[in-house]
Amino acid sequence: MDIFSALLHGFQVALSLQNLLFCLLGVTLGTLIGVLPGLGPTTGVAILIPITFGLNATTAIITMAGVYYGAMYGGSTTSILINVPGESSSVMTTLDGYQMAKQGRAGAALGMAAISSFISGTFAIVMLTLIAPLLASFAISFGPPEYFALTFMGLTMATSLASDSPLKGAISGLFGLIVACVGVDAISGLDRFTLGSIYLLDGFGFIGVAVGLFAVSEVLVNLEQTAEQVFVKTELKLRGLFPTRQDWRDSLLPIGRSSVVGFFVGVLPGAGATIASFICYALEKRLSRHPERFGAGAIEGVAAPEGANNAAAGGAMVPLLTLGIPGSGTTAVLLGAFLIHGLKPGPLLFQTSPEFVWAVIASMYIGNVMLLVLNLPLVGLWASLLRVPYKILMPLIVTISAVGVFATENNVFDMWVMFGFGIIGYLMRKLEIPAAPAVLGLVLGPMVERSLRQSLTISHGDLSVFATRPISAVLIAVAVLSLLAPVVRDLWRRTRARNGGESAGPSAP
Amino acid sequence: MRRADQVTAVVLFVGSLTLMREARSLQAGDTLGPGPEFLPFWLGVLMAGLAVMLFLQAWRRAPTEGASRVLPAFGRLVPIGATLLSLATYILVLEPLGFLLATGLLTAFLLGVVERERWTISLGVAVANAVVLHVIFRTLLGVSLPKGIWGF
Repeated sequence: MDIFSALLHGFQVALSLQNLLFCLLGVTLGTLIGVLPGLGPTTGVAILIPITFGLNATTAIITMAGVYYGAMYGGSTTSILINVPGESSSVMTTLDGYQMAKQGRAGAALGMAAISSFISGTFAIVMLTLIAPLLASFAISFGPPEYFALTFMGLTMATSLASDSPLKGAISGLFGLIVACVGVDAISGLDRFTLGSIYLLDGFGFIGVAVGLFAVSEVLVNLEQTAEQVFVKTELKLRGLFPTRQDWRDSLLPIGRSSVVGFFVGVLPGAGATIASFICYALEKRLSRHPERFGAGAIEGVAAPEGANNAAAGGAMVPLLTLGIPGSGTTAVLLGAFLIHGLKPGPLLFQTSPEFVWAVIASMYIGNVMLLVLNLPLVGLWASLLRVPYKILMPLIVTISAVGVFATENNVFDMWVMFGFGIIGYLMRKLEIPAAPAVLGLVLGPMVERSLRQSLTISHGDLSVFATRPISAVLIAVAVLSLLAPVVRDLWRRTRARNGGESAGPSAP
Repeated sequence: MRRADQVTAVVLFVGSLTLMREARSLQAGDTLGPGPEFLPFWLGVLMAGLAVMLFLQAWRRAPTEGASRVLPAFGRLVPIGATLLSLATYILVLEPLGFLLATGLLTAFLLGVVERERWTISLGVAVANAVVLHVIFRTLLGVSLPKGIWGF
């Protein structure tokens, strides 16, 4: 079937007034959900299922898909402005985005996040259009060893994100993995470390941990100074609402790379926007000629993860539409929506309901344009929020965090998790242990464990299974290299320093 | 930081040993392949190793002259303690008092007492905050928020 004419037909359907309106509703709602910490796209999509039940399948899915990638746009807003990641996929954006905001460059950061999201999101949809069937067949060959290798690589690259101390980064990542072990073990059904609490059967909820580790701990740290001092520190001068030409020059290649890498990570069932944002941030930091700028307000540090998460969201639609396998948590909920509307997801979906599939794909193009148009003017609105003095902002951050966390599962226990991890996060900040690897460990923990145990079961306990399978071997090699890199760099620097006594050469970068 | 790192390392080491012991006691019946105790146990081993490395790294570092303390002076810990206490109270009273009242009180306390803002502004922002959050979450997003014993 001719892809181009199918897509054109899809646009015909997607451009109907009803579908346009609901697409707009979906992306706006998605942005709002992304902005609010604690309410994620998964929850948003799930809430919408009964609400959109009366609509026809195409319109309903267009709305929910809009919420999904819309949330990727919105999540960056609070990450940049108040260092609170609205979604797990915007955790990386806090590292440089918030620094940029403190330097008065919030407008540029927000603008770049929106534009990068648009470019990468559109790229992902184009890729989805062109090679969905091909990609799906490749992803089937990812077995448990490859998944373990991928997550292992993601984790080791994340520890290299700890700017000063990879050792402390590794400790943080391990801590996250350990926290992820709490709860019912999926494979054996045994509950671990739940201390008899029924609330811990599902483990520590991600949102409670993340909001506690980031938002609450930041509030506590800021309380050490008087409010006036903090006010001066976070005073926002809107130096420019848009990225400068230099920003573009710095960001163009990162956006390109994040689009590609993010898309492929998103395609992998189970790996979604969050992992993509971590990997792409680490990649850009590695490739940069000035890696020390990352974490201090580098525009690429915003462009890369934001592009990655949108590309991954698009990529996650590939296995959903072509195989009926969810590419991420939110697409799993979308899968449920498909079934409720009487669609049969699977390899035959393209054959049995082509109008539906191509209409959804077409609406994703439209939705991305809508989001760009919506978000760029609103940059000024968001940024002006920060003119509010920190004195007043602090209680608002505390309350919105608490409510957001509560809203995820209407459970007071989640707020206690936020409280506890707020204290832990405060201590980690004082001890200069980075929080981002812990969050990654928490998110990846279940997949790491599942794939590791499945791999060892398949290989009857033989660890060489990871090295003998080619894809897994490559990924593990990259992981080991990234672990050794700081050690090698240190040794190199020390030998240069020892031998550099006579020569007045520059010290190693 | 040197002393703090050493303390952290010891705490982590002890924690890892506890984890390893607890993991051992998890051994389920026969599962095919590694059981539920596998990963926690080995994570404990890894963490213990990292703790040792952290201790050694801190030990080998030369002590800096007049090193700054890690935790702030007691005076600045008071607002932190007050905030934590009020947050804990909020979580406890959220369901009996209801969302609007509890959130309003928390906001007013944080602004008026912790931040020492003027009472007029504190109350105004508290009311506005509670109402706006209620509108966003309850009305716009359909999340059900607790109504207190008085029904609102």
